Amino acid sequence: MEGNSDERIIEREFGELALNMGPQHPSTHGVFRLQLYLRGETVTKVTPHIGYLHRGVEKLSETLDYDMLPPVFERDDYLSPTANSLAYVLAVERLAGFEVTRRASYLRVLTAELQRVASHLVAIGTFGLDLGGSMGGGATLFLYCFRDRERILDLMETLTGTRFHTNMNQIGGVRYDVYPGFDSEVLSTVKYLVNQVNEYRSILEGNPIFLERTKDVGIVTQELAKEVGASGPVLRATGIPYDLRKNKPYCSYDEFNFEIPIGTIGDVFDRYLVRIKEISESISIVTQVLEGLPEGSINTRKPLKRATLLKPPKGAEAYAAVESPRGELGFFILSDGTSKPYRIKIRSPSFSNIALIPEIIPGHLVADAVAILGSLDPVFGDVDR
Amino acid sequence: MPKKISRIRYIEAIIFSLWITLKNLFRSPVTVLYPQEKRDIPERWRAGTFALTTDRESGEENCIGCKLCELICPSDIIIVEFEKHSGRGWAKRFYLDLQACIQCELCVQVCPTDAIVMLRGMAEPVTNREDLILDKGKLMSNEKLYEAAWATGIKLQTLHEPKKSVAES
Amino acid sequence: MIVINGIIQGAILLGAILGIVAYLTWLERKFSARMQSRVGPYLVGRPHGWLQPIADGLKLISKEDITPSKADSLLFNLAPGWVVVVSLLGFAFLPLTANWVLANLDVGLLYFTAIGSLIVIGIFLAGWSSNNKYALLSSVRSAAQIVAYEIPLLFSLLVPAILSGSLNFMDIIKAQNDLWFIAYPVIGQISFIIFLLAALAESNRMPFDLSEAESELIAGFNIEYSGMKFAYFYLGEYAHLLAVSLLVSILFFGGPLGPILPGGLWIGIKTVLVFLSILWIRWSFLRVRIDQLMMLNWKILTPVSLLNLLLAGLWVTLNF
Repeated sequence: MEGNSDERIIEREFGELALNMGPQHPSTHGVFRLQLYLRGETVTKVTPHIGYLHRGVEKLSETLDYDMLPPVFERDDYLSPTANSLAYVLAVERLAGFEVTRRASYLRVLTAELQRVASHLVAIGTFGLDLGGSMGGGATLFLYCFRDRERILDLMETLTGTRFHTNMNQIGGVRYDVYPGFDSEVLSTVKYLVNQVNEYRSILEGNPIFLERTKDVGIVTQELAKEVGASGPVLRATGIPYDLRKNKPYCSYDEFNFEIPIGTIGDVFDRYLVRIKEISESISIVTQVLEGLPEGSINTRKPLKRATLLKPPKGAEAYAAVESPRGELGFFILSDGTSKPYRIKIRSPSFSNIALIPEIIPGHLVADAVAILGSLDPVFGDVDR
Repeated sequence: MPKKISRIRYIEAIIFSLWITLKNLFRSPVTVLYPQEKRDIPERWRAGTFALTTDRESGEENCIGCKLCELICPSDIIIVEFEKHSGRGWAKRFYLDLQACIQCELCVQVCPTDAIVMLRGMAEPVTNREDLILDKGKLMSNEKLYEAAWATGIKLQTLHEPKKSVAES
Repeated sequence: MIVINGIIQGAILLGAILGIVAYLTWLERKFSARMQSRVGPYLVGRPHGWLQPIADGLKLISKEDITPSKADSLLFNLAPGWVVVVSLLGFAFLPLTANWVLANLDVGLLYFTAIGSLIVIGIFLAGWSSNNKYALLSSVRSAAQIVAYEIPLLFSLLVPAILSGSLNFMDIIKAQNDLWFIAYPVIGQISFIIFLLAALAESNRMPFDLSEAESELIAGFNIEYSGMKFAYFYLGEYAHLLAVSLLVSILFFGGPLGPILPGGLWIGIKTVLVFLSILWIRWSFLRVRIDQLMMLNWKILTPVSLLNLLLAGLWVTLNF
């Protein structure tokens, strides 16, 4: 069997089979190379290789002005775009000292929570594909989840004009405002989604095949999660109640009433359960936003005439983090007095989450490796930037 | 949990999931068979191509060649050449390369005269790459293709004015 | 003379089976699409895409015939032919109306099981000769699975044989004149369910299709096959499924027996309904893992099928 020479040596000396779940694979959620060392069907060692989607966005941001950057950063974590631009915009507002009106905060929360629901629907749908194959029950679950996600994207389309990379967040506020019939459309979509979520829960959580594939598989302990720096649903499934929306509230999240779902053991089933309960919580936040939307303007800066008006003081630095559907997404900005930032560093949640892979996959079968990778929900635009 | 009860729940869950797929068999599909059927385009849709507008009453071009859109584009796709005659500025040449546009609408937002707008229609496919580099003539004629999107420059700038009093929302 | 008659009948049957199997793929695509809220094949032959299998066949025939350079070319080219031939052999022994069968054997039931278990050799040859680690993994899994599931398959097939007293298909059909075998109180339903699960596992269908698991080992044992050889595997799988659904409708649902319509039509309707329910199961369930598959077989299905056989024997000795 052909392979490069270190694979040959491994096979001869240790009696293991080196298998490449290579950059092109139907279930690695993006371009990602995972080198598995198998003994029979059991995985003994795992080596991940990343970097296939590196686009150099942190270096690119040193050549663009502050106002031009929100649409560029939306392409980082491409499954929930407004989370990225929200984190960037919060960091710049902290750097330059802008205040934001309450109405703008509420609209930011609205788009962020709707995109959180959409992202979790994608996570559950592709999780079904990993477990059940692209021909079979997994594909059915996938298509149902995407059919529901289309309703949310239709809402974003009526509000902003494009479905996905909406460019809603701007420095100082948001770009678009709601129109008079928006409430009723959102509420009807929300009612439909609540029914669908209940249906998914009753299909999956009693199904013996699903339970046997996901219970006690890929257990992440609390110490391991803290050591690696995991965040988001991966951390909350282990039992640690840490959510940035409650512990370090930003953008008027402390005015809303919602729970944080927490798991017990930290296996694949708990991560799925945390995500599907978060969908219900996000839906309740959306209804609260619409009920309590305050009056006011949506932007506090003068309208954008020239991009070079924003010049933060030299040597100022700021860090702002939001709770994206994958975890803590943070932006650190250092300015040198000109209109272009000196250095922007992105703390990406998926990068820390996939550091769990070499620790928890050994000892499981190949089928479990795929299920564990799907439950960690990495997005490779976020890992490689 | 005791084995007997869990077995019965398992069988219920299996039958329930079979029932869900059977129910979906009898619903009508959600596919829109493009291009025989087309979806309705919402009011604020803005993903068509671009156009340079002319003034309603006088019929002269709105673009004054101020180069604000060229400065703010993150992908550097706009090229404007300025000339001045007849008492105001004009754009002598205007190139917009659609291949790299990320549809961020920043150029529309900064335009002081509502000259460049995005159109409310579907982007048409083309067969060579040269058709995607729009020059000034193509942009002026695009105005007649579709109507302009809801968000034009002056409308967005009025929307973003910080209001002094708590008037309309 | 009998030989020539037999050859002509066999050729007609073969042609008919191949045509039906090609259209079964169309039926599956339409059925699964409607279950997922979408429209299946649509453009080729408006409005329902009924020319789609012909278009697929033409496309697959026109592709280049590739054999990898390091693969064992004799075995590589032998495997698809083996799978197709063995799958099609099963149709020779199944009756299609109340009194017509191509080859009336006295041990018809046993012969069918023997033929059905030869398919695993083809799959294993395909996986081994492809010189690819993914193919090897999947063919080893599939060999273990198929060999293991033959035991409950055989034991649940023996129940209709016990209830009717012979292994000949014609006698089994005649014995169901009063009551179909599935309607017998406990033994009918349990043997039906066990037979269905074991037959799904034998033909590598969901929820047991680990050997072609597309999300883990991309296409399993047919990862190196393209063009017409891939089409042979595909045809062989569907032909085997058609034979299994025909067998189920004969053994448990009475075959050609029924009130008004002719026998051939009844058996057609019952076969299509059984086939549709196999598809329905496929598109609703996730996949099991290999150790859970083996556990299901050895710890649950085998003891239950043995018990079932015992109960059937008791029924026959006590009631008749």
